[in-house]
Amino acid sequence: MAHSEEHSGGGTKEILRVTLILTVLTIIELALGFWMMGMPLESTSRLATKITIIVLMLAKAFYIVGYFMHLKHEIRNMIMTIVVPLALFIWFITAFLYDGNSFRHLRNTYDPHFKEQATIKVEKKEGEHAAEGKEARPAEEKGAAVEQPKH
Amino acid sequence: MSSTTTATASKMWGGGKSPFNVEYGKLMMWYFLMSDAFTFGAFLISYGTIRFSTNGWPDPNEVFRSYPFASEGVHAPLVFVSIMTFILIISSVTMVLAVKAGHEMDKKGVVRNLILTILGGLAFLSCQAWEWNHLFHEGAWWGRNPFINHDGTASSTNFTNFFFTITGFHGFHVFSGVIINIVMLTMTLMDKFEKRGHYLMIEKAGLYWHFVDLVWVFVFTCFYLI
Amino acid sequence: MSNEAVVHAHPGLAHEVHGDHHEHHHHETFITKYVFSQDHKMIAKQFLITGMVWAVLGGLMSVLFRLQLGYPDATFPWLEDILGKWAKGGRISDSAYYALVTTHGTVLVFFVLTAGLSGTFANFLIPLQVGARDMASPFMNMLSYWFFFIASVVMLSSLFVETGPFSGGWTAYPPLSALGSASPGSKTGMDLWLIAMALFVVSSLLGGLNYIATILNMRTKGMSMTRLPLTIWALFFTAVLGVLSFPVLLSGFILLIFDRNFGTSFYLSDIFVSGVGALPNEGGSAILYQHLFWFLGHPEVYIILLPAMGMVSEILSINSRKPIFGYMAMVGSLFAIAILAFLVWAHHMFVTGLNPFLGSVFVLLTLLIAVPSAIKVFNWLTTLWRGNIRFTPGMMFAIGFVSLFISGGLTGIWLGNSALDIHLHDTYFVIAHFHIVMGVASMFGMFAGVYHWYPKMYGRYLNNTLGYIHFWVTIAGAYMIFWPMHYQGLAGMPRRYYDYSNWESFKQFVELNRFISTVAMIVFAVQILFLFNFFYSIFKGRKVTSQNPWGATTLEWTAPIRPGHGNWTGEIPEVHRWAYDYGKDGKDFIPQTTPVGSDESEHH
Repeated sequence: MAHSEEHSGGGTKEILRVTLILTVLTIIELALGFWMMGMPLESTSRLATKITIIVLMLAKAFYIVGYFMHLKHEIRNMIMTIVVPLALFIWFITAFLYDGNSFRHLRNTYDPHFKEQATIKVEKKEGEHAAEGKEARPAEEKGAAVEQPKH
Repeated sequence: MSSTTTATASKMWGGGKSPFNVEYGKLMMWYFLMSDAFTFGAFLISYGTIRFSTNGWPDPNEVFRSYPFASEGVHAPLVFVSIMTFILIISSVTMVLAVKAGHEMDKKGVVRNLILTILGGLAFLSCQAWEWNHLFHEGAWWGRNPFINHDGTASSTNFTNFFFTITGFHGFHVFSGVIINIVMLTMTLMDKFEKRGHYLMIEKAGLYWHFVDLVWVFVFTCFYLI
Repeated sequence: MSNEAVVHAHPGLAHEVHGDHHEHHHHETFITKYVFSQDHKMIAKQFLITGMVWAVLGGLMSVLFRLQLGYPDATFPWLEDILGKWAKGGRISDSAYYALVTTHGTVLVFFVLTAGLSGTFANFLIPLQVGARDMASPFMNMLSYWFFFIASVVMLSSLFVETGPFSGGWTAYPPLSALGSASPGSKTGMDLWLIAMALFVVSSLLGGLNYIATILNMRTKGMSMTRLPLTIWALFFTAVLGVLSFPVLLSGFILLIFDRNFGTSFYLSDIFVSGVGALPNEGGSAILYQHLFWFLGHPEVYIILLPAMGMVSEILSINSRKPIFGYMAMVGSLFAIAILAFLVWAHHMFVTGLNPFLGSVFVLLTLLIAVPSAIKVFNWLTTLWRGNIRFTPGMMFAIGFVSLFISGGLTGIWLGNSALDIHLHDTYFVIAHFHIVMGVASMFGMFAGVYHWYPKMYGRYLNNTLGYIHFWVTIAGAYMIFWPMHYQGLAGMPRRYYDYSNWESFKQFVELNRFISTVAMIVFAVQILFLFNFFYSIFKGRKVTSQNPWGATTLEWTAPIRPGHGNWTGEIPEVHRWAYDYGKDGKDFIPQTTPVGSDESEHH
């Protein structure tokens, strides 16, 4: 039937090439992940690494969708019907994350009674033990007077 | 939207045939996956939103640092999850090969590669089961978070809440993908597709399977790497 | 249906092989014909009639709570007879009032105006107007209805549980929806509500994918996208909106289910419940739920409105005997509305603690919607301009739609401003706005569609006299109910309150509330008259004698008066022109199937 001929591309060679690319990209991502462990928190280098990892993630997504899912070999118009609606994610992500960030900022700045777990120091090695009493704990703490200032 | 300026475009869009030269089932599968992308997208964006609105967050390298058969105090971040990632990528490759074999009407190739894909899926699910079990025994579950933030402060339970919900939802997709692939395998063995004259169903199952792989790329990055 | 699959696998062949398709269906049983039918026309009728049942229930609920608002001090012993403990002593209890308001909203928005309106007409019109034997996947189409049916059953059952249906508002904001201890309705009622809505999402997804695939793949020869009637364009964008936005709601619901049942805190933080104490939940954000909800919620408004817009465009053009004014502008504005629908969700959340700067961006995007909306309105008006108008009941409702869309849309410009919204948020002004522009306007679109396509659905006409009574009472009533609410809202009267008599400043509205309630009851009674007309005419209505009673150009009127499964008896007709050749070259109308003559003036 005519179907198999219409789909140009998708040969074994291409599959191997894409597999290789995906593997390499993943290894780079992992390497970056390991490298990032040594970086100080909230640093520019850490942020830059995270952004690089996200770019690599998008590259992987491109190869999976384009070659494994064969989208690159479909008719251009069909590619557009898939890719264009994905642009909605731009505003979806921007608005949500922006508002999330703003919510944290507003609470930290203007809510004198706001108190998050993140203000409570836990002894490093005690992590496991602290877990057990966890469920009841925040409630007690909230009941107690809140005086710890933020920042 | 469809500017019918060029001759080829107007021929494709003139009616009486598919403008994309694909059967309706494939089209529906693609748009279903679009829809599902918004489901996962919404989950991951919610995760991001909560993370942005929380003051502290655990270090994934402190949390996901074990692998099976390792001794207790082992500290090997990213190792196990990289294995899981590779399993899924390889199963995606075998799925591509199955689809390709289908196009060539090569029943044997389809069967072989489908079996490999199913095994890959099961391997991934087993890994996930082990990891969940391990975390559970460390005290992590929905509503329970034994891990501490980067800076040594107590962490919000939303770290584990989102982790279990999103990887669980992804695992559910892997599971249904395995079921779909088993159905495809049975149908191939029963010569259903040979009689039909084409293996287009495999292609649709393949799309779904790659999508599952695709989602993992995002989940992997969001939870384990950054 | 392996035969089907092969047929569809060769898009070029699809229609030829389909030719003998309908003959398989001659020996149908009652079950396959009326219950588990795969015929898109029967599924459309199932959607319509289920939607009508819901409309009656939802409307009745509004009558009941209007009774409370209009006569807060009176008692009606018969209420206790029908509602039992929810109306002790003949007065609706406060929790029953909230349950009624909530269920009225959910039912009308989702079950009536989404499933009942777009489900009905997408199913009925898409295959008939694009020239297809049926939907791309008739089986999935059937599943779509039955998922909706199960969702309906679950939602209905939530009315009868002991703790009552969910009562925290149709938007189901946490913590009311997330904590069982928040209110009686937040217990089992909310669980059932969530299950019903999840099933509803599945139904709309199955339907939407089918509509998109059918419109893209199954158009008949010559039916290019720019020759599609505007109904189809509108239904197409509706389906796209549904497919992309409902899953986000589903995600939001899944997180909510976890919050309810598994001790998570996605939406919960810093909560103190009296009698229970402080809850351990921490770190969540109720605003997150609102974002997720309105990411669907706003497109949902257009899911409801676009089908009505499409049908109104078609009906206005047919009954003005004029081509639609600005076809491409109409398509373009539908497209623009569909895109903007995804970008403006947070204008429902200006006063929630949303970042004000982000809010201002949402103001800008929201006000942009005025542009395509205005294009549509002016195109409708210019279509009517100097037309040879036939005032059929369908046409009356279509014109009524335009009127309502203008008066409701203009208040949208007020509400879209975040500064004004501080005053107007959660007042009766909002109620007036969205009931007119989305509720009643879409209802009018639906009525227009029913009156117009009834002859195609049942081979009979609806009674015209009853139709005119229905129209005039409904439009007058709609304005009399909702227009005064603008003033109440401007005066600061908040929505969702059980009893306003405790506030000195709202005492001036006692008479007005009573007036609104009275009109609401009259309008509801007239809808029952319409239902009588509908069911009576199925059996006793005047018979349609000609294939094309309205003198319309589109393909559904080339099919037999009562088409069987497969729609056309012979070949599917080929299309040679756009759908709006009215009053061209001295001819009243030229059907889409007529080839373009050599002496014809310039062809579209």
